[in-house]
Amino acid sequence: MWAIARTELKKTVQDKGLWFWTFVLPVVFIVAFVAIFSGDESTSYKEVVTQIIPGYTIMFAFFIMISMVIVFVKDRERGMVSRIASTPISIYQYFFGKWVPFIIIVLIQITVLFGFGVVVYDLPLGDPFALILLSLALAFIVTGWGMAMAVIVKTENMGIALTQILALGGALLGGLWMPVEFMPEIVRNLSQVLPQYWALQGYKEIILSGGNVTDVWFHILFLILAGIAGIALALFSYPRFLRQARS
Amino acid sequence: MIHVENISKHYGSTQALEAIDFQIEKGTCFGLVGPNGAGKSTLMKILSGILLDFEGDIRVGEWKVSKDRSTIKQQLGYIPQDICLEETLTAYDNLFLFGNLYGLRRKELNPRMDEVLEQVGLTDRAKDKVVTFSGGMKRRLNIACALLHKPEIIIMDEPTVGIDPQSRNSIFALIHHLKKTGRTIIYSSHYMEEVEQLCDSIGLIDKGKLVEYGDMQSLLDKYRKPSLFISGVQITPEVLRSFGDVEEKGNGYLLNSSQPLLTLRDLVNYCHEQNLNPRRLELYHPRLEDIFFHLTGTELRNA
Repeated sequence: MWAIARTELKKTVQDKGLWFWTFVLPVVFIVAFVAIFSGDESTSYKEVVTQIIPGYTIMFAFFIMISMVIVFVKDRERGMVSRIASTPISIYQYFFGKWVPFIIIVLIQITVLFGFGVVVYDLPLGDPFALILLSLALAFIVTGWGMAMAVIVKTENMGIALTQILALGGALLGGLWMPVEFMPEIVRNLSQVLPQYWALQGYKEIILSGGNVTDVWFHILFLILAGIAGIALALFSYPRFLRQARS
Repeated sequence: MIHVENISKHYGSTQALEAIDFQIEKGTCFGLVGPNGAGKSTLMKILSGILLDFEGDIRVGEWKVSKDRSTIKQQLGYIPQDICLEETLTAYDNLFLFGNLYGLRRKELNPRMDEVLEQVGLTDRAKDKVVTFSGGMKRRLNIACALLHKPEIIIMDEPTVGIDPQSRNSIFALIHHLKKTGRTIIYSSHYMEEVEQLCDSIGLIDKGKLVEYGDMQSLLDKYRKPSLFISGVQITPEVLRSFGDVEEKGNGYLLNSSQPLLTLRDLVNYCHEQNLNPRRLELYHPRLEDIFFHLTGTELRNA
């Protein structure tokens, strides 16, 4: 299990595309959008940075699903899934080994982007314990959904397309680009079922309102339950995934 | 001893395997052959523990797959047809991964990595990335990954596809060595001459059924029909038919006769009289490939 995690992490570190999507592009987006919205006199600077930095961090955290889809589909198509299935390790060990590196990457991504916010934009962090728990829950749900997506999709392109819909659609409807208060009622209602909404509201509660764990427990629970649903779906779909695997 | 007992497998309404039954002696090489779509890959997946839902059972010594799957998997070394390696990592990294998957700890794994690399002739490339390897080197490393845990049973699925003769010879030598050390090998290939050369027994599968199975020599003897092969001479099939039954084979003709030595003498005399000089005129012993075509036909399979 740890050997799979170690191998995956080594491969991932060498992937320049992942570095670009995970760190470079989000920083570019944050810089650009903070510059654009800082000129708006109706919104305070603090409100701008506490909306944009967590918002884009959440949105780009969802893009880890693309990397997960690519890794799983490649493994399936070149016979690695079958080969690993012929060894004594269980499917739980296989999934855990594949999952660990991605959750580490997302946690590093959140740390880097928030750190960038603190250093460059003086972003307040609020209660560190609540912030860490919420970030862990965010990393859990994006990787859990990533695992489900990776096992379900038939091709890389299908996975990339669905991830874009989930990440960008969720960002729009979940209020990551613009606070949901400015949106029509139907969108406000729809956003309540999106993990992006609960993640952002949680971060705002901690950063902007000085909330602690008791104030964001529901947000964390929602993300964890959604993540568990993703992992359960991945485990349920594994036999079909294995049947499709080359050997 | 491996007992494959009455294995059947359905994919929806399609029957991929039907009541497959055979045994493999310990320390022998068993060849599994069949045309594309015959059910060979499905059987290989079942034997290597990848496909879990099938009817029947497999016994390995005292263990049964239905009860002791994990124990049996620990005894298996599966070498897939595709090269399943992490190409951006080194040979050592790949061996470390597979060694760990079979439960080897670093202390025992390190010397084993060196041993298997030496066995496949890749010692000097241990720290190089696999992406820099030739096709043959990748195939050899692919094999090495399955040998780390010293498996009792080694399943090889077309291990010589697309490699140079040197690498092929090296793989053959390794298989002979493994047999000598008591390992049981299940070898699948479309190259009949390889199977004939390496395997002690074979199972031939077609349309999901085991159409022939047994000791290689007995099988060759069973289908051995006396015949002659003639090529490189201007004799029409009509003329040859006066000597026996004629069938085209490659760039010549196969002449089936109940008394091949007498027919050979008559043919030599005929060629002498007609001043003909055939390039080849010889007694012909059927090969595994002939038996394969005899049992499965020569029409193309699109599966």
